[in-house]
Amino acid sequence: MQHASPLPWLIKCAGAAGVLLLACGLATARFGSALQQPTVTTRDGTVVTLNRYVREPVPDLVLVGSSVAWRLKEEYFSRPGVRNLALAGGSPVTSLDIVAKQKSLPKIVLIESNVLTRLPDVALIEKFSGDKRTEPLFLRPVRTAVAVYETWNHPPPNRAEARAGRDRLLSEPPSNFDNKVYLDRAVQQMNDGDDPSVPAEVNVARIRELIDDIERRGSRAFLLEIPVAPEIEDSRMVRMSNAIIHAAFPDHARWLPIHPPMKELRWADGVHLDERSALLVARAIESALAERGQ
Amino acid sequence: MPDRAIRGGMTFTSLQFGIFVAILFGVYYLPPLRRFQVQMLVLASLVFYGSGQPALLPLLLLAVLGTYLCLVLAFDNRAVWMRAGIVFNLALLAFFKYKLLFIDPAAVHPTGVTPLDVLLRLPLPIGISFFVFHNISLLVDLTREKRPPPLRDVFLYIIFFPQLVSGPITRAGQFMPQIAPKRLAEVDFVAAAKWVLTGFFFKLYVANNLNEMTSYMDYPLYETVATPDRWLLVFLYSYQIYADFFGYSAIALGLGLLFGYRLPVNFNLPYISVSFSEFWTRWHISLSTWLRTYLYIPLGGNRKGPVRTCLNLMIVMTLGGLWHGANLSYALWGMLHGLLLVVERPFLTLLGDTGPVVRVARMGVVFFCVTMLWIFFKLPNFDHAVGYISGMFSPTDNPNPTKLFRNMALLYALPVFIQHFGIGALLDGRLRRWEPYLYGALAAMAFLEAGPDAAFIYFQF
Repeated sequence: MQHASPLPWLIKCAGAAGVLLLACGLATARFGSALQQPTVTTRDGTVVTLNRYVREPVPDLVLVGSSVAWRLKEEYFSRPGVRNLALAGGSPVTSLDIVAKQKSLPKIVLIESNVLTRLPDVALIEKFSGDKRTEPLFLRPVRTAVAVYETWNHPPPNRAEARAGRDRLLSEPPSNFDNKVYLDRAVQQMNDGDDPSVPAEVNVARIRELIDDIERRGSRAFLLEIPVAPEIEDSRMVRMSNAIIHAAFPDHARWLPIHPPMKELRWADGVHLDERSALLVARAIESALAERGQ
Repeated sequence: MPDRAIRGGMTFTSLQFGIFVAILFGVYYLPPLRRFQVQMLVLASLVFYGSGQPALLPLLLLAVLGTYLCLVLAFDNRAVWMRAGIVFNLALLAFFKYKLLFIDPAAVHPTGVTPLDVLLRLPLPIGISFFVFHNISLLVDLTREKRPPPLRDVFLYIIFFPQLVSGPITRAGQFMPQIAPKRLAEVDFVAAAKWVLTGFFFKLYVANNLNEMTSYMDYPLYETVATPDRWLLVFLYSYQIYADFFGYSAIALGLGLLFGYRLPVNFNLPYISVSFSEFWTRWHISLSTWLRTYLYIPLGGNRKGPVRTCLNLMIVMTLGGLWHGANLSYALWGMLHGLLLVVERPFLTLLGDTGPVVRVARMGVVFFCVTMLWIFFKLPNFDHAVGYISGMFSPTDNPNPTKLFRNMALLYALPVFIQHFGIGALLDGRLRRWEPYLYGALAAMAFLEAGPDAAFIYFQF
């Protein structure tokens, strides 16, 4: 099918593309990409979380860590101004580095030390450091439309709703789900995996530098161990990682010991706390901070 | 999975590839260089292939030169040298594709013979399944001619970059006559733009976004997915693999047109097929045509009675499955497709031309069966595939299943629905004047809403 002259067709086509791009560019400039976009992958979720952190006022308390701490939802804490920057599938150093590179620091930084086998995400640290642009030039129309729908359909809980949600969770009995299959698999992976010493040492060295930096600037940092199943605690990876970080930070004052009711804690997939257990751990963290006068 | 993508090289959706095509297009039609057009395309194709797997360029050259030698000799003795050429090509394919069935890839010295160990250690050459089929087509089609074509034409046919890594598998008899000096004025820019923009849209908007979701079909992630979502993911993968491969083929067609070559259309709305035999005339058309021409018909096709026809169908489809890779899942996928073709044969004449309701029902049955069989494609590890399927029929016990946004899944899969159910007819009719604006919108959406970069699924074959 030979057109007489392709030029008019191509101009109309390019014009339509240009108009759409311009519209999305203007919409981004006018409204920003403040809507919580639905995320499919953990990487997307990470970017959304960090975008929100660098854009909004600095909170009082920040939690950094891995997927283990990621389960501690912000609404589980009764005090306001808590921001959980734990990154599923990541190193605690990634968020800690990003927090340290901001102009203003939170009063308290809690560093979950359970998973030290993953190296910091340098690209993510660079992306969210300093004055570099963190928002895209154009919003994604489909995801934005879905975000509008989701926000309208599932608005985040207000304080009263969050409190009611916490009360409801606590009134339920601990889960009786049998996680043996998942637990056995997780233990096997942690026993058979690569030697965790090298990444753990890299992470620990960087944690030390970053703690020195943020405390020099007036913030306070605590290391935190979130309870895991005894079988996981006894795995090769956890034992080696723990030995390395405790040797590097022998001062008890550096740690925030927490005492949740261990018998009530459950790890549905073998490694991560279920909702009720995460709430119990969040409460234990708040109690421990109160004991320290924080 | 060995070298899924052209790592570090140019893929159709990369910026480097765009620059590469722009430069090539810029010089290709310059009048002083017109008589070197074939050489330019050959050189560009070698650069394209070498950008991803430079170490395997000698192998590509060996395949082309070996085939050409057999082709030339076949003009003296077709019976011997054509067969020798086919054996040579099948041996190449078997060596690289099926060697892992016989050796341990982790062994330091699998055979103890150094040159052989070096060869065994080479990765799977990208596109080997495609260029080997081109070579065989060349040997069968052109040895019937009066004299062999020039070597540079043979090179262009086999390694023409738009079709080198994932087809379409063009028959030599279709491609070779097109080799002639090309003029800019003859280029159908609108058709080329339509194919390229459609291809980019289907790959970037549909396939790459759906890929984010269907990555949860991989082991062990699928264990975190609730039962209804396992079903949803299978259907999403069905749309994804179509969008991915159709997108690639569309870009290839558009690129071919830009350089004056018309490649065969590889897809024709396969998910509206009302029978499995129709499906195979609409899905990966160039492969099914190749298998029919060079395997099914030489085996006797349907000329030797019903039993032999069924056997031939099973053989062709099983080999077609194994062509994708050396494992049980691909073989089973092909075998089950063969079985469906065999089972439906008696009913085809029985059903004949039926009304719209029955047609829609048949469409649904074909689509459902084809979609279910994609599980073996997505999970080539047979145990994982079986695990996934059994999970589709048992309730989830994971208290924290992965959340999938179904509205987003629908919006990303929607273009496949719309395409299959009539946008083409509308554009040919009442909406024709809006066509350029629609393609402009596709281009913008492909850019704005592109999913995370993911290799074309068929690169692994």
